[in-house]
Amino acid sequence: MIMRNFHRIIVPLCSLAYRLILAIIFYYAGIEKIADPGEFAVAIYNYQLLPDLAVNALAVILPWLEIIIATCFVAGFYVRGAALISSALFLTFATALTINLVRGLDISCGCFGAASGNINWFYLGRDLSLLFMSIFVMIYDRGWRAVFILRSTK
Amino acid sequence: MILNRLNKALRQSLIILIFTVMIAIVFNLLRPADIALLGFSSANLIKQRQAQILEISLSEAHDLYLQKKVLFVDARDPLSYEEGHIAGALNIYPDEAALYAAKLKTNNYRGVLIITYCDGPQCPLSKETAYALLRQGVPEAKVLVNGWSLWIKAGYPVKKGRE
Repeated sequence: MIMRNFHRIIVPLCSLAYRLILAIIFYYAGIEKIADPGEFAVAIYNYQLLPDLAVNALAVILPWLEIIIATCFVAGFYVRGAALISSALFLTFATALTINLVRGLDISCGCFGAASGNINWFYLGRDLSLLFMSIFVMIYDRGWRAVFILRSTK
Repeated sequence: MILNRLNKALRQSLIILIFTVMIAIVFNLLRPADIALLGFSSANLIKQRQAQILEISLSEAHDLYLQKKVLFVDARDPLSYEEGHIAGALNIYPDEAALYAAKLKTNNYRGVLIITYCDGPQCPLSKETAYALLRQGVPEAKVLVNGWSLWIKAGYPVKKGRE
């Protein structure tokens, strides 16, 4: 019985766990960046991918986007939309990281505010696993109900 | 089914985005340490960073030159370079930094200090080239201010033509 329902139990639970992991990461990343937008703007500029006009706007908006997505994940509100945005974000980070790793630039990642280390391939791996989690959540999320499904099948 | 979900996700994400932009802008306006939304100036930042590039004195540079622990980079235009430059110097104009950066990052140049120079105490080219090279990931570069004049006055080795 349990084996037959394995997929039905494990997938929503995984999704819930991923959601919470993503939320914690986004809260941390967002708060660190909101603390010093000027510093974060410099980190964005260092990637050498955006025109001057877009740098400060992104430095102001991105941290809030991370916080609001995290809140959606925790609250279980608009989870699909939040997961879609988070997938898009991780995909964008992955592209930006790859471009600059290939260029060989030795710049700060800026992932968690100014204090984060310099970019390397490990960051790309981390980013891609978070991308995987986001896509998983977008497809399979069943909300906090996952916990009750587990109970009812026992 | 999947299209339906995607559609829903798109709609939700749009709402989240609009909401976020509003909150972010309002918060930025209200906070004391706000930054101008469209006011980023890379020119200012570059100036600040160029000012932070370390300078080196003629005697120190010459010592390193004798120990072969230095690569001089002539940041002037190619014509001035051909008329005469520090013996062994490469000619890298600021916007050519990207072309040479990969070569300068190889093991051949490990432990070699890059020193840029141009002519005249106010000449910005040496700092611009040093900055451009650092930005391309070259580990260390210093500037010999007014380098060309100082070098010939001291009677140190120079060379004409291309290297």
